[in-house]
Amino acid sequence: MALPLSYSWRSMLARGTRTAFTVAVIALVVIATTLFWSLIGSLKRTLVSSGSPHNLVVMRKGATNDGSSQLSLDAYQTIRFFEGIARDSAGNPLVSPELVVQPFFHTAGGTRENVLVRGVEPVALEVHDEVKISEGRMIHPSSGEAVVGRIVSKRYKGASLGSELRFGNANWKVVGILDAGGSSFESEVWVDARELANNAKRPLPYSGFRIRVAPDADMDALARRIADDPRWALEATREIDYYKQLSSTANTLYIIVAGLAVLAGIGAIFGATNNMYAAVQARTSEIGTLRALGFSRGAILSAFLAESVMTAAFAFAIGAAISWLLAIAISAALGGIGFASQTFTTNVVVLRVAPQDLFMPLALSVLIGVFGGLAPAAAAARLRPVDALRKA
Amino acid sequence: MKYLPLVWRNLGRNPLRSLLTAAAIALAIALVCILRTMPAGMDAILASAAANTRISTHNEAGIVYSMPYAYLAKVRAVPGVVAAISWNWFGGAIDITKGVEFPNFAVDPDGIAEVYADWGLDPKVFEDFRKYRDAALVGHITLEKHRWKVGDVVTLQSTVFPVSLSFRIVGAVPTSTPAFYFQREYLAQALAAAGVTFDTTGMIWSRVDDPDRVGPVMRQIDEMFRNSEAITATETEKSFIGNFFSGLKQLVTIIQIVAALVTLCIVFIAANTASMSIRERVGEIAILKAIGFRKQTIFSTLLAEAGLLALVAGIAGAATAFGLLKALRVFASGAGPQLGPLTAFVVSYTILVQAIFISFFIGILSGWVPALGASRRSVAQTLREVF
Repeated sequence: MALPLSYSWRSMLARGTRTAFTVAVIALVVIATTLFWSLIGSLKRTLVSSGSPHNLVVMRKGATNDGSSQLSLDAYQTIRFFEGIARDSAGNPLVSPELVVQPFFHTAGGTRENVLVRGVEPVALEVHDEVKISEGRMIHPSSGEAVVGRIVSKRYKGASLGSELRFGNANWKVVGILDAGGSSFESEVWVDARELANNAKRPLPYSGFRIRVAPDADMDALARRIADDPRWALEATREIDYYKQLSSTANTLYIIVAGLAVLAGIGAIFGATNNMYAAVQARTSEIGTLRALGFSRGAILSAFLAESVMTAAFAFAIGAAISWLLAIAISAALGGIGFASQTFTTNVVVLRVAPQDLFMPLALSVLIGVFGGLAPAAAAARLRPVDALRKA
Repeated sequence: MKYLPLVWRNLGRNPLRSLLTAAAIALAIALVCILRTMPAGMDAILASAAANTRISTHNEAGIVYSMPYAYLAKVRAVPGVVAAISWNWFGGAIDITKGVEFPNFAVDPDGIAEVYADWGLDPKVFEDFRKYRDAALVGHITLEKHRWKVGDVVTLQSTVFPVSLSFRIVGAVPTSTPAFYFQREYLAQALAAAGVTFDTTGMIWSRVDDPDRVGPVMRQIDEMFRNSEAITATETEKSFIGNFFSGLKQLVTIIQIVAALVTLCIVFIAANTASMSIRERVGEIAILKAIGFRKQTIFSTLLAEAGLLALVAGIAGAATAFGLLKALRVFASGAGPQLGPLTAFVVSYTILVQAIFISFFIGILSGWVPALGASRRSVAQTLREVF
């Protein structure tokens, strides 16, 4: 016969202080792990959610990002009439030529960061259909206007709607706010491509194009045709793959954080083991009584193991709740977390604990519970009823 | 001191518990060390940039904005400037499909020896750099990574200019920079042959003769270009590098929060063990008091027990961190740019020593409450309860 789960639960609660210590240790490990894990998760989500499955990114062969690419005007003029490219209602191809420049911006705190400024043409909003103007309006060409990402407008001096924003030795009027569902476009500023090229004195007008592929066209065939054209050394990548590749370096960070989490987890296992040994010791006579009453070794083992796992699960629940609140507090206090991106600009990520960020901490807690309880539970099960009763 | 054997024996009374506690604290201390090393890597880079008379002039709009190359001569003419060289981003790649793997710049060979006197290079190396048009000075990190040695010839295809150049490595730069430097004139000739005009520069690095003069010289340079086509911003090397990584500030805050959480963890682990072992011994403590041991003696032996355990654990933790950091350094070298210098994982002895002290103090602190309680308890009451 098995011991009811409520026995384990009540035993856990009965030794209040000691349980509280263990719960605190495991909960702290959960909070630390969750914060890091969800930070990388947030970074990855920000990058991966940028880009549309219908778009191609065209860059110079070998350019790993549009900050390091340069293309000629004639390539643009020719490629935009390739077959398979979607067209707007007026019949113009949906090809967005873009120029990327990384000028200094100044934060309210007085520090300086490089921000990705994208020189665009009016077609950009149609090609990047996930980017919306949530407030204000889109820029008019050649009028010294800028639209800024939602995060940019909060992070930098003079970047709020209606303000004069100074960058690139010029003043720009902020006429709109870009909303891109939390993706990295919200860390960008968009201005007129020609104005930006003049301002930055760029020898070539464009860094790359984004192409909206027609719904019935073969995306890979179009990409191959662009790449194989002998006139220019170009490369066309699906936009989602482009951002996935930009986010792939986050995978190394996952491994580092997982390593640190395992380290913290092992420490917590030791703490939990200590605690359960003390629990077994304190209840020697009780175990003896239970065995004398006819409960099997297996029943004792599972009862103590259950107690340990319950403690860990309880700690996980508390830790997860605190992390969630802490993430909100951190986001409120810091605004966003800046990461350096491959374009040498600041990619701002809003820290958020998503449900999937909790799987790893949950698994870690359960393992802490199981491994922390295993040895003490086995010791409890090994006790002979006679000895246990005599000791007491 | 004469009670040390007693303290030691008490720790050995429940060896499993002492071992588990020490291991848990050691792991937490190791984590704290690793976490604190991340922002320290950034500080180390800033501290190594302590050449306090080296200043950088660049376009006020950003490093990607250029300045006329003629600015270099004007900067060199400013009184107090010992030497100045220009830097141009070449964006050279070994394999164009892999992109730019290390920063590479075209610089002026005249003045580099003065501007980078702190590299401590043999004057002959700078002389070679000046003498050979295709000479390159390369950061030792990049040399090791690509298994190059002085004398090797490497070809870089520019991602900025329509040229590909072959360089002969004439020297290794001993600092932590991965950069690759070569002569501006070599690039200028290649571009002239390709019909590209080349009359701009991205940055000018200068050496000022006197630390006290740095401020006025910087102001004078910026004043000189205030009304020209490219307004400049001049700053010290430390400020330049600090600004370069300023975007990572919030990330550092989060790392510090997590390090603080893990430290708090140690408090709970240590306090739990201290309270467990003292509670089990109340009877024994009462007897010690009954036979004449003073309150203070009992209190300090109990405290010493908690402190000693934490100290040993702290030392073990610092040693673990030392080993892990070395391993992480190798692993994280391919971690990509998102964390910048945060994944440099350079071992700092200050952090390791601090961690040992932190551990010891937490041990003492966590033993305080239960030890005080135990030493103050009335003998009669305890003995009545226990027997």
